Amino acid sequence: MTTKYIFRYALAASLAVSAASCKKSLDLQPISDATVNNSYNTASQAEAALAGAYNTFVSSDYYIWDNTYTSDVRSDNHYAGGDNPDFFQYDNLTLTATNSKVYGDWSNLYNGILKANTVIQRVPLITDPSLAADRKAQIVGEAKFLRAYHYFQLVKNWGGVPLVTVPVTTTDPADINTPRASVADVYNQIIADLTDAAGVLPDTYGDASVNKARATKGAANALLAKVYAQKPDRDYNKVLTYADAVISSPAGYALVSNYSDLFDDNHYNNSESILEAQFNGTTIGNWSPSLLLPPSITSTTWRKFITPSKNLANAFDSEGDVVRKNQTMLFEAAPWVDEYWSATVNGVVPFPYKQRNLVNGNSTSRQYMLRLGDIILLKAEALNALGRTGEAATEVNKIRTRAHLGNTPAATQSAMALAIEKERRLELAQEGQRWDDLVRYGRAETVMNALNETNLITGQKVNYNMTVQKELLPIPQTELNRNPALTQNPGY
Amino acid sequence: MQKRITLFCAFLLASVFAYGQNITVKGTVRDQKGETLPGVSVRVKDSDAGVATDANGAFSINTASNSTLIFSYIGFATKEQPVAGQTVLNVVLDESNKALSEVIVVGYGTQRKGDITGAVSVIGKKDLDQRPNTQIGNLIEGKTAGVQVVSPSGSPSATLSIKIRGTNSINAGSNPLYVIDGVPAQDTRSLNPADIETISVLKDASSAAIYGAQGANGVVLITTKRGTTAKPKVELSAYYGFASVRKKLDVLNADQYHQLATDLGYSTDWTKYTANNDWQDEIFRSGSSQNYQLAISGKNEGTSYYISGGYAKQLGVIESSEMARANFKVNLDQKVNNWLTVGTNVAYTRYNDVSITDDTNVNGGGVLLGALTTPPNIGIFNADGTYTANPFQQWENPLASLYGSTRPYKNQRLLGNAYGEIKFTPDLKFRSSLGIDYINAVSDYFLDPYLTSYGRQNNGIARNETNLTNYWISDNTLTYTKKLGKHNFNILGGFVAQKYRYENTYIQTTGFSGNTIPTTNAGSVIGSAYNNKSEKFNNSIIGRVNYDYAGKYLFTANFRADASSVFGPNTRWGYFPSFSAGWRLSEESFLKDVTVINDLKLRAGYGIVGNDQISTTNYYSYLGGVGSGANYIIGGNIQPGNYPSSIENRNLKWEETKQTNIGIDLTILNNRLTFSADAYIKDTKDLLQTYPVPRSTGFDFALKNIGTLRNKGLEFLVSSKNIVQKDFQWSTDFNISFNRNNVTALYGQQYFLNTIAGRSEASLVTEGKPLGVFYGYVYEGVDPQTGNALYLAKSGEKSSNPTADDRTIIGNPNPDFIYGLTNTFSYKDFSFTVFLQGSQGNDIFNATRIETEGMTGPQNQSTAVLRRWTTPGQNTDIPKASVNNTDNSRISTRFVENGSYLRVKTATLSYNLPKTIAAKLRLASIRFYATGENLFTFTKYSGFDPEVNAFTSGSSANTNGGFGIDYGTYPQTRNLIFGLNASF
Repeated sequence: MTTKYIFRYALAASLAVSAASCKKSLDLQPISDATVNNSYNTASQAEAALAGAYNTFVSSDYYIWDNTYTSDVRSDNHYAGGDNPDFFQYDNLTLTATNSKVYGDWSNLYNGILKANTVIQRVPLITDPSLAADRKAQIVGEAKFLRAYHYFQLVKNWGGVPLVTVPVTTTDPADINTPRASVADVYNQIIADLTDAAGVLPDTYGDASVNKARATKGAANALLAKVYAQKPDRDYNKVLTYADAVISSPAGYALVSNYSDLFDDNHYNNSESILEAQFNGTTIGNWSPSLLLPPSITSTTWRKFITPSKNLANAFDSEGDVVRKNQTMLFEAAPWVDEYWSATVNGVVPFPYKQRNLVNGNSTSRQYMLRLGDIILLKAEALNALGRTGEAATEVNKIRTRAHLGNTPAATQSAMALAIEKERRLELAQEGQRWDDLVRYGRAETVMNALNETNLITGQKVNYNMTVQKELLPIPQTELNRNPALTQNPGY
Repeated sequence: MQKRITLFCAFLLASVFAYGQNITVKGTVRDQKGETLPGVSVRVKDSDAGVATDANGAFSINTASNSTLIFSYIGFATKEQPVAGQTVLNVVLDESNKALSEVIVVGYGTQRKGDITGAVSVIGKKDLDQRPNTQIGNLIEGKTAGVQVVSPSGSPSATLSIKIRGTNSINAGSNPLYVIDGVPAQDTRSLNPADIETISVLKDASSAAIYGAQGANGVVLITTKRGTTAKPKVELSAYYGFASVRKKLDVLNADQYHQLATDLGYSTDWTKYTANNDWQDEIFRSGSSQNYQLAISGKNEGTSYYISGGYAKQLGVIESSEMARANFKVNLDQKVNNWLTVGTNVAYTRYNDVSITDDTNVNGGGVLLGALTTPPNIGIFNADGTYTANPFQQWENPLASLYGSTRPYKNQRLLGNAYGEIKFTPDLKFRSSLGIDYINAVSDYFLDPYLTSYGRQNNGIARNETNLTNYWISDNTLTYTKKLGKHNFNILGGFVAQKYRYENTYIQTTGFSGNTIPTTNAGSVIGSAYNNKSEKFNNSIIGRVNYDYAGKYLFTANFRADASSVFGPNTRWGYFPSFSAGWRLSEESFLKDVTVINDLKLRAGYGIVGNDQISTTNYYSYLGGVGSGANYIIGGNIQPGNYPSSIENRNLKWEETKQTNIGIDLTILNNRLTFSADAYIKDTKDLLQTYPVPRSTGFDFALKNIGTLRNKGLEFLVSSKNIVQKDFQWSTDFNISFNRNNVTALYGQQYFLNTIAGRSEASLVTEGKPLGVFYGYVYEGVDPQTGNALYLAKSGEKSSNPTADDRTIIGNPNPDFIYGLTNTFSYKDFSFTVFLQGSQGNDIFNATRIETEGMTGPQNQSTAVLRRWTTPGQNTDIPKASVNNTDNSRISTRFVENGSYLRVKTATLSYNLPKTIAAKLRLASIRFYATGENLFTFTKYSGFDPEVNAFTSGSSANTNGGFGIDYGTYPQTRNLIFGLNASF
C-alpha cells in the first residue's frame, strides 16, 4: 500500500467518525416549550403556574360567555341568536350529547382543574427559599379555590362528574378513564377545598385591583354560601354563616350606590365585587361583547348571538324596574329577522348590555365571578328558609332600594320565596345565575313549561317540554366515546 | 445520471499480475445512443483477467496485443473484439433487452431492473413528457400500480398527497418520503417537473428498508437531469393552457329564492333586492397556465453539467386564485482524477400563490358554498361600495371572501447537495454527501377595513407569518463490489445524520386607519404575536448486501438502525431489517430454449420499516410539556402564566410496518409484452396516535403508540407493443391496483373526524373497518304526514328523532380499485396518447348538498328543494324546510353518493418536425403538442367533480382518517394546453 492509499483511508475514516459522533445531538431539549421538570422549581414559576390557572377565567369559552348560555339562554331570560344550530338547542331545551358547546364547556372546566391540580401538587415541593412558607400556602389555597369553583360549575350542570384531583402522568386507560363520582362526593371535595382555602387566604392583598383579581377569604366564604345553598342536601344555616362572613368581612364589601356603576366600565374592581375576571381589552381581551352588542356599537350587521327575552322584559316592566332593565338590555333596530321580537327586518330588538365596552372588536368588560348583591339575596333566601321572613325582607329591600324600587310587599314565607326568586332574576340577569336559581327552587319545570313564547316566523307557540331530567346537561358524547367508564345522564 | 456513481462498478478479478509483453488497452463502452455504460464486464478471452468499466464507461486493461476482449453487460448482446495491437478500443454494445438493462435508481445506489428483487415502479421520460404539468403528483397519477394520488382540490396551490399501497397510519404522516437527488424532502410543490429525469417509487419494505424509520409510507426517489452528450444540448419547452370548470350546479334564481325565503318565514323589503346573479358565474372564470423552461447540458472530459431555468404561472378557475413559480437549477459532476469525483446538485425555487377559502360553509367565508348559498337577489356591491350580504344574516357574498382581503404566500427554497466520491481500489468506494433544504415561507394577509363587515368591525386585520425550515443531511457510505466466479457481491455500509430545525413567527394587528398600508406595522393594536422554534435530529447506521449467483439467484438484505430525538430515551433506537430474493427462471437451462419467454422472474421480500412523521408541535411530547402564554392580569399588570400542555410519554417510539411482498415479472413475445404482478400484506403496529384522552384529564390528546392497521393488495402492470412497424407504432400500458385497508385494533378507541357545521363529524376511524368510513344515519325518506326526514332507528323503526346511537357506517371512501390505461399511437412524426384514469367503488360524502338542500336558514338552495315537502300527504324525497333545526339534514345516507369515475385524464396529440426541416431551422428537434386534461369524465357523482377531498390539506390526521368528502371544495378543472419542445 502506498502513502496515497493511506491518505485516502484516513480521510474516509475521519469523515465517518465525524458523522457518527452524534450521540449528544439526540438529546434535544425544547426551545420554545418548557417541560414539567424545569417549570416548577422557583418562586416565580409557582406564581406563573398559578397565573396560568387563573387564565381559565379569561380564556375559556365557558367563563367568557357560555355560562350565560347554560344559565340565561337555557332559562326564561334570553333567546339564542346567531347562526349555529347547536346554540339554539340551549334556548329550545333540545340539547343533545353531541352539542359542541356542551363538550367545549366540559373540556374548559377540566382544563382549569388540571391547572389547579398542577399547582396543588407541584408548589408544595418547591424548595426555593425565596418562596415564603405563608405565600406557598396561599398559592395552594388560591388553586384550591379555583378547583372548587370549576367543580361547582361541573356538578351544577352535569351532576356527579369524574373527580380528578391529581394531574395525570400516564396515558394508561386505567389511570385516565375516571368514572363519575356521586354528587355528594363532588360537593364534599368542593367544600373541603373551600374550607382549606378560607383557612389560608387573606381578606385582602392590598390594592383592589389585586383583591378582586385573586381568590380571597371573602371569595372562598361567598362560594361556600352558594355551594351550601345549591347542593341537594342544602344547609341554610351554613349559607347564613358564610354569607354573613362575607358581609362583615374586613375586606369591606359594600353595595355600590348606583346599580349602573356595576356595568358602566368605569368602576371595575368596585366595593361590591368579590371576584372578577380581569381584562385589558387587547392582549387579554373579552371577545363576547363583539358577538352580543348591537350594530351601532359593533358596526357589524350580522345577527348577534344572545337576545333578551320578552318574558324578561315583561318581568322588569311588571316591577316598574327601569334602572336594572336599562342596564340589562339595549333596544335597537336590527337589520335581520328575529323570530320573537320582529318578523321583519329592521324591527327593534333588545341586545344584552351588561358588558358594553368594545374597541377594535375587543373588550375590557367582564363578568362578576362573585358579587355582594348575589350574596345579600342569598342571605335573604337563607333567612326566609329558616323562617326569619321579616329579616329576609330587610335584605331584599337593600337591593330594591338601590334599584329605586319600593319595599317588597311579600309577607308570607312562600310569597317571600317567590319575591326573592324574582329579585334575583332582575338583579342578576345575564350573570349566569337564573338556571341554578330555578333548579334550586324546584321551579324549573313549572316556569319553563308555563312560558308563552311565540315564534313569529312559524306563528307557533314554543313548547319547551321541560322535564326534571333536563335540569342537567348531557355528558358530551365525545367524552363518553373517550371514556367508557362514564354513564350518560338520564333522558339523553 | 447516477450511472457514474453506480455500485455495479467492478468485476475485477484477483489476478492482475500478467506475464510477458502486454500493452495497455483503453477505451469507452457506449450503447447505441452514445450513452456510456458503467459496470460493463471486460474480460480477456480464455483467461481469468478482466475489469469493469467505470462510472464513465471507461476501462483500462493490460493484455497481450493479440488477445481478444469480451464485453458483456446484462441486457446487452455480448461482444468479442480483437485487440489487434490497438491501444484505444471504443466499443458500442447492442441492446438485447432494453427494459431489463435499464438502470433504476434505488436507495443509496442504482440497480439494473433485471436484478431488482423488491417492488419498485419507475416513471420515466416517456411518462414525464406526456403530461405537461406543474406538480410531480400529477405526473405520477394513474401511471403505475399501487400509487394513489389524493388531490384535495383543483386549486393551483393544492398540495397533492400520495399514498403508496394504502394508508399506513391514522395520525402520523401518510406521505411517502421524497428523496430528491439524495436529499430527503417533504414539500414537492416547489419542485419543477421539467427538471426530473426519472422517478422511482419504492413500494415494499424490502426496497424501502434502507430508509428505515422514514420508509413506512414508501419512498419516491426523484432524479434530476444531468449532462450526457459531448455536444452542448439546449432544450426549450413552453406551453400555454386554458382551464375551465366541468359543470355548474343548479341553484334557485331570484324569484325562486324569494319564494323559499317567504315560505321559511323570512320577510324583508324585497324591492331593495332586484338583482339576479348566479354567483357561480361571478366566482368562476377561465383559468390559464403557462410554463417556460430553458436548459443547457453537456458532458466533456470529466465534467458533466446541467443548468436550467424555468417559470410557471397558473391562474385558477376561481377568481383571485393563482400560483407562480420560478426555478433555477445546476447539476455538476467533475472527475478530479482517477480516484476522486466531486459534484453538486443545487436548485433554487421561488414559489408564490394566492389561495381561496374552501371546504367550509358561507358562515365561514367558504367561496364555493358562498356561491351556491348566497341569494341571487342582492347584487355585488352596496351603494357605499361595500360587499352585499344575505338580507337575513350578515353572510357576505363570495366576492367579499375573494377580494375583501389580499392573501399572498411566498416560498423561497434552496435544495441541494455536494458530494465527493473516493475510489480506494477498483472494488472499494467511499462517498460522502452533504445536503441541505432551506425553506423560507411567508404568508401575508390583509383584510380591508371597509369592504367587509369583519374588516369594519376590526378596522382591518393584517397578519404576517414566517416559517423557516432548515434541514441538513450528511451521508457517508462505503461500497464494496466483488465477483468471485459466478458469485457477485455488492456490500454497502454507512452512517447518516440529519437535523431539522423549524422556526416560526406570527403577528396579527388590527385597527387600521385606511387600506393604503397592508402590513402589520400600520395596525394600531397588536392582537397576537408569537415565535416558536423546534428541532429534530436523526442518526442512522445503514447496511446492505446484494448477492447473486450467475444473475439467476438474487438476494438482497438491508439493515438500518435509526435513532431520533423526538422519541423517548428508552425507545430511541429502532432496527429495520429486510430480506428479499429473486429467481430468474428464464436463465435456467429448462427455460433458456423457450424462445417465447424473454424474461421470467419471481420475487419475494419481507421487511420492517418505520414512520416517524409527527408534527413539529409534538417534537418533545415524550417529555411532558409546559406551555406559556396563559397570562392573567393581577394588580393591573400582566402576570406570565403557564400550563401543562402534554402528557409525558417516555415510551414514545415509531410506528412499525412489516410488509411481505411477492411478485412476478414476465417478458414474452420478443420483448413486446411485459407483465408484472405483485401481492402484498402490510401490517402496521404501534400506530403513533394523537390519542384522544378523556377531557376529565384536562388534556385533549396524548401522543401514544397504540393500535394496528393492515393493508393488503394486488397490483398488475401490463405493457404491450401492439404494433411495431416502421411508420406506425401502437403501445398500451395498463395498471390496476386493489388495496384493502382495515384498522385491526384500536383498543376501543374511535376517531370522529371532519366536522360538518351543525351536524357533528362525518368520518369515523374504528376497529374492524377501513380508515375514514362515513358515519351517520340511514335515511328513510320523508314522512308524508309531517314532512320530516325519517331515519332508521336501532329498533328497526323509522324515526324523525333518532338518537346518536342510531348512527352507523353509511359509506366507504376507499376505492375497490384504481386504474390507469395509456394508449400511444405514432404515425411517422405524429403521435397521439390517450390516458384514461379511474377509481371504482368509492363513496363520496356530498356535504355540499347538506348546505344546499338543508333549508335550515336563509341560505340560497339548489333546485332540488323545489321538490320539498309542503303539504300533508305529499310524497317526495326532500323533507320540509326547518329553520334553525338540522334534524331534516343530518349526516345520513341521503348525502352519500357513488364516487366511481373514469376520466380521460389526458389526451395528447404531438407532432415532431421532420429532422431535415428541423436541421434547416438549426434545431436538433422540435415537437408541437396539444393536450386536453380531464376532457371527459364518466361518473354518477352529482357534485362539481368526483376527484374531491375536503379536509385533506393541512393536518395529516385528516388526510388519513377522512377523505372523499365534498364540502364546497375547489373543483378539478378541464384544461386545454398547447406547447412545444425544442432542442438545439
